[in-house]
Amino acid sequence: MRQSNAYVLLFTAAMTIIIGGTLSVTNQVLKPAQMRSIELDSKTSILKAVMTINKGDDVLAIYKSQISGLVVDIDGQNIETDAKGAPIFADKVNILRNYKKDPKDREYPVYKFSSADNPGGVDAYIFPLYGSGLWNGIFGYVALEKDLNTIKGVSFGHVGETPGLGARISSPEIQDRYIGKTIFDENGTLTSVTMLKGEKRDPSAFGPHEVDGMSGATITAKGVNAMLDQYLHSYEKYIKSIKQQEEI
Amino acid sequence: MSTETLERAPVKEKEPLFSKRRKKIFSDPLNDDNPITVQVLGICSALAVTVQMKPTVIMAVSVVFVIVFSNLITSLIRDLIPNRVRIIVQLAIIATLVTLVSEVLKAYNYEMFKVLGAFVGLIITNCIVMGRLEAYAMGNSPKDSIIDGLGSGFGYAWIILTVAFFRELFGSGSVFNYPVFEKIGWASFPTNGLMVDSIGAFMVLGVLIWIQRTKTGYVEH
Amino acid sequence: MELLSLGIRSVFIDNIIFAYFLGMCSFLAVSKKVSTAIGLGAAVVFVLGITVPLNWLIQEYVLKLGAMSWISASFEEIDLEFLQYIMFIAVIASMVQLVEMIIEKFSPALYGSLGIFLPLIAVNCAILGGALFMVQRDYVLSEAAVYGVGSGAGFALAIVALAAIREKLKYSNVPDGLKGLGITMIITGLMGIAFKSFIGIAL
Repeated sequence: MRQSNAYVLLFTAAMTIIIGGTLSVTNQVLKPAQMRSIELDSKTSILKAVMTINKGDDVLAIYKSQISGLVVDIDGQNIETDAKGAPIFADKVNILRNYKKDPKDREYPVYKFSSADNPGGVDAYIFPLYGSGLWNGIFGYVALEKDLNTIKGVSFGHVGETPGLGARISSPEIQDRYIGKTIFDENGTLTSVTMLKGEKRDPSAFGPHEVDGMSGATITAKGVNAMLDQYLHSYEKYIKSIKQQEEI
Repeated sequence: MSTETLERAPVKEKEPLFSKRRKKIFSDPLNDDNPITVQVLGICSALAVTVQMKPTVIMAVSVVFVIVFSNLITSLIRDLIPNRVRIIVQLAIIATLVTLVSEVLKAYNYEMFKVLGAFVGLIITNCIVMGRLEAYAMGNSPKDSIIDGLGSGFGYAWIILTVAFFRELFGSGSVFNYPVFEKIGWASFPTNGLMVDSIGAFMVLGVLIWIQRTKTGYVEH
Repeated sequence: MELLSLGIRSVFIDNIIFAYFLGMCSFLAVSKKVSTAIGLGAAVVFVLGITVPLNWLIQEYVLKLGAMSWISASFEEIDLEFLQYIMFIAVIASMVQLVEMIIEKFSPALYGSLGIFLPLIAVNCAILGGALFMVQRDYVLSEAAVYGVGSGAGFALAIVALAAIREKLKYSNVPDGLKGLGITMIITGLMGIAFKSFIGIAL
């Protein structure tokens, strides 16, 4: 009886229902906590580009009151809906998926940051980035000051760079090197900021568009340079349009 | 099915929870019959996550959880499972438990979830879990199966934690992200890039197996 | 060109054994003879080459958020990703069953020599791993197919190479504690270093 076809079918049907039920219930119960974790994670990365986040900070509240997002295309024009006609939100844009598209077709989120004592004004512009490191993807955010020229800060992450070498890009030590560097030269040409090869450790040795490199992590550094360069050029039209507006 | 029929008195006594037999079920996989070094199971995910101690601890806890509960569940329904779908049922039980672990991790420790990534799902294909179900849980009582699960789980855990300890110490100069060498005054400790890499893992594990097998006297032919 | 680069990367640099340690169990057990290793390698290429794109289709059209909107617009909000492990494993197990039946029919000799290891491909970390990495890296269908065949080829290459070395190792004097698993681990580590030499190659 135990081995008969009817029993096998009955057993498998029972198993399917029990398993399906258990997993569905778990999913429903845990979903709010999961969504919150994911939201917390991405919003913390965005904020890290402009401020230091400490353990007890209420990231979601800070983000809500100080960050506003919009999406633009390669020409700097606002995009309200995506390809399917649904409304588009800056934090819902999938950067990895967009990275695979041609730069002309991508959706480019922009986050405007207002510091605590300047609600309503814009103190920084934050742009998401994506690129390829040595092993896998590298990503992050670059924040520009109001003048849209000086870097306020960067925050980098990586999928699987080598700890102690390429993985250093997510350490404050490396990220702090970008603070204060400018992306436009005296003639107004966008030159981005380049990480040099090798590591001199003497901050005065670098120009306004250069930062010290990472010893032993040249390929990752090249990836970071390419990433910054490509995305800053993609946002260039948007940056120029904001600058024009300011001058009016 | 217990094989200890010799000492049975005419009136069947309840076996104490920590009987000698049960202790052996627990202790065998820790050393003599270690799932990784002797049975050659569960190597896959063992090596990839052992770059640092923290993810390794999460991995060890998750694996122990999955082995123990899949052993328990399988043992409870072992008389109900039709023979023809045995393997599939076992896989389904394991996959469900791993999904539970993954969902909980995603909700409450997203950072570790990102670090471990696909390797949480790969617990399903961890040969140790399937191996214990087939070799033990299918034919033994739930209580014994739990003990066997704990034994195999801990046997696996101590090996990967040891490998992780050395890999993090020599590869990144830290333990649990605490910069050990910096604190003892040797800030320019030359961290060994190989240790962080797959190669270091293979080497450390190979040496660990050598030491462990020499001590237990197990020789493979 | 991107696809070719991805393929070469999956075989040499992103090698599923040397870079991610997946598939070690059958790798260690079957790599004693070159002939069985070739058989297993071929089976893995076939299984990976089919299951990765197949799982991609399931992920894209059944599992992820809004995947089933092709059935009905009201399914836009449904996210079945929590069923991912179960579905992938089911697809893989069925596929392996199919491969087993095909091999038994066309080459009973190979079927005999592979023995228990053929059904064990289903629980081979490499197969599930391939599918999970494909999801993590957000490949499109063409990339998924190339990645599947590529990682299978990488696995096959590694296992045949290791088998060749182990056959020669039979004539060496390995200390007792290292015999078998220990020395294999160390050899695999050394092979891994050799494969690292492919890193700088850009296509």
